[in-house]
Amino acid sequence: MNIARQFLRRLVPMIAIVVIATFLLSLLMRLLPGDPAAIMVPNSPQEVRDQIAHETGLDRGLFGYYWKWLSGVLTGHFGKYYLNGGSREISAVIKDTLPITLLLILYAQIVALVIAIPLGLVSAYKEGKRFDKIASAVLFTTVSFPGFALALIFSLVFAVKLGWVDPIGYVPPTENFGQHIKLMILPVMSLALGLASGYTRLLRTDVIATLKDDYVTMAASKGISNRRVLWRHVFRPSSTTLLTSAALNMGGLIGGTIVIETIFVIPGIGFEIFYSIGARQIVAMQTLIALISIMYVFFNTTVDLLTQITDPRTRERRA
Amino acid sequence: MPENSTPETETPLEASVETAEETPKVKKPRKTIGFYLSSAWIGFVLFLATFGPWLPGPAWDESFYDSLGVAPFHHSHILGTTMDGYDMWAGLQHGARISIFVSLIAVLIGGSIGSFVGITAAYFRGKYDLLITMIFNVMLSIPNLVLSLALLSVLAYSDEAHPVSLARRVTVLIVSLIIVIIPILGRIARGSALQWGSREFVLASKSMGSKNFFIIRKHILPNVAPAILAIGFLAVGSVIIVEGSLALLGIGIPGGASWGSMLANGRGNIEFSPHEVYLPALFIAFTVIAFNWFGDYVRVQLDKRESKI
Repeated sequence: MNIARQFLRRLVPMIAIVVIATFLLSLLMRLLPGDPAAIMVPNSPQEVRDQIAHETGLDRGLFGYYWKWLSGVLTGHFGKYYLNGGSREISAVIKDTLPITLLLILYAQIVALVIAIPLGLVSAYKEGKRFDKIASAVLFTTVSFPGFALALIFSLVFAVKLGWVDPIGYVPPTENFGQHIKLMILPVMSLALGLASGYTRLLRTDVIATLKDDYVTMAASKGISNRRVLWRHVFRPSSTTLLTSAALNMGGLIGGTIVIETIFVIPGIGFEIFYSIGARQIVAMQTLIALISIMYVFFNTTVDLLTQITDPRTRERRA
Repeated sequence: MPENSTPETETPLEASVETAEETPKVKKPRKTIGFYLSSAWIGFVLFLATFGPWLPGPAWDESFYDSLGVAPFHHSHILGTTMDGYDMWAGLQHGARISIFVSLIAVLIGGSIGSFVGITAAYFRGKYDLLITMIFNVMLSIPNLVLSLALLSVLAYSDEAHPVSLARRVTVLIVSLIIVIIPILGRIARGSALQWGSREFVLASKSMGSKNFFIIRKHILPNVAPAILAIGFLAVGSVIIVEGSLALLGIGIPGGASWGSMLANGRGNIEFSPHEVYLPALFIAFTVIAFNWFGDYVRVQLDKRESKI
């Protein structure tokens, strides 16, 4: 099958969804009561407000505003924070905050996989035994434990009571790597535990199915050690679902880090959304939320496409 | 939302049919301890939410200036008080009212609208279905916390010139959550209805001249309902989490009126009175876990029913 054609067939609905979603966001922003420029810059003279309204297109109708915003985003003019004289560019903010969020998500994914892979393999190998039962029960509980509750309890126990780490803050890895890791432990763990539970359950199911395959019996009967059979012969073919689901989670996690970033005061994009809502920066709010949605849709479509290309079985199943 | 595949809960009925294969263990389906614990917790919380105001004890919005920030198991404040002197037990009781009812109402209304739209889309197909699917996809393209954040911050916007009452905030919160729930349950309903809509009995009923909505009501809805119900329980859990997150971000319900709001208020006092944080956090966590366990139980029951047909 022609990959380029497939990609194009996906691209059109993807763009349509993004356009409609961002248009609805514009509509939502226009529903705010009162003059939007006055909301962004309270207690300002009328000339300043008019200037801002003209700059952002807020003085035009809904479609005019949306067009102004869209063409701005497409040409790299993301707009500004109009608070404090409007010196803060949204594009600069994105450049500063997005890598931090991506780093946080990356750590969380790695930790989750490091926990999930051995746990999933062992509980599948010991299916129905006590280890498996206990692991299943614990995982079912942690998978539904809200991340923010975990985050608060972690910071209560490890930061406030035991004093092992600082409860809030962020240090870039280039500045002081040890301190960076130390501050990231709690937020990463709060994100990773829920993920790890889900991943373990996925892997366990797949491994149980793979263990029943003939070539596994064959490998075991050749006298290869259990450990080697599990890693070399069972884990690899069973990991497709796990990796797909991990990749699909990337998009959702970008939205999900808002609360964690706010609790631990990490200057990522989630924290920035929280800040722009509090500071009533309509344009910034709209741009950042749109950015998250675009990344979310883009991630999901790409992962979907990649799995279809790399694993022909999914292609057949869907056809 | 958690994955839908827990192998230990898979139905053993299929296994008993194919006996030629190596016989997998046939476990008797039974109610686990988790089921009893979660039903008990849901019952307890629902009881608090319904009868809270008539239970004896201090008022939730009354500050006790003689006992600020006392630890749990105090003689007159069983779960202690906050640093501002509000009774924790009374707060949790009142919080149950808002947290649980907001979630239940949002899931009930959002689920009904979503199911109706999803089922009709799957039944009638054509342009209507395309439109509905498109709308669902657009709504799902924004992560649900971000969507409710945007909706709430605009629809419950408040400043000096536009003050917003608590009742309006709660209403807007419910509406935002409904909007978030509609596509999630709607897509499930549509997917399930697509399968059932192509069954022979639907075709038979059609050929006998039944009206469309009669077929939907009599033949499709009863079959789709269990799937929606199971996901609905999971959705209640997710909505409670979203409510808590919004409150933590400071744009949910203010003033310690819900569990999330109590968390948000108590966060600053974590060092001095940690029970202000861990009690509401545990209440939220237990409730979410209980609803998930319960939903899983419902799903297992439904799997059994489906494989019998």
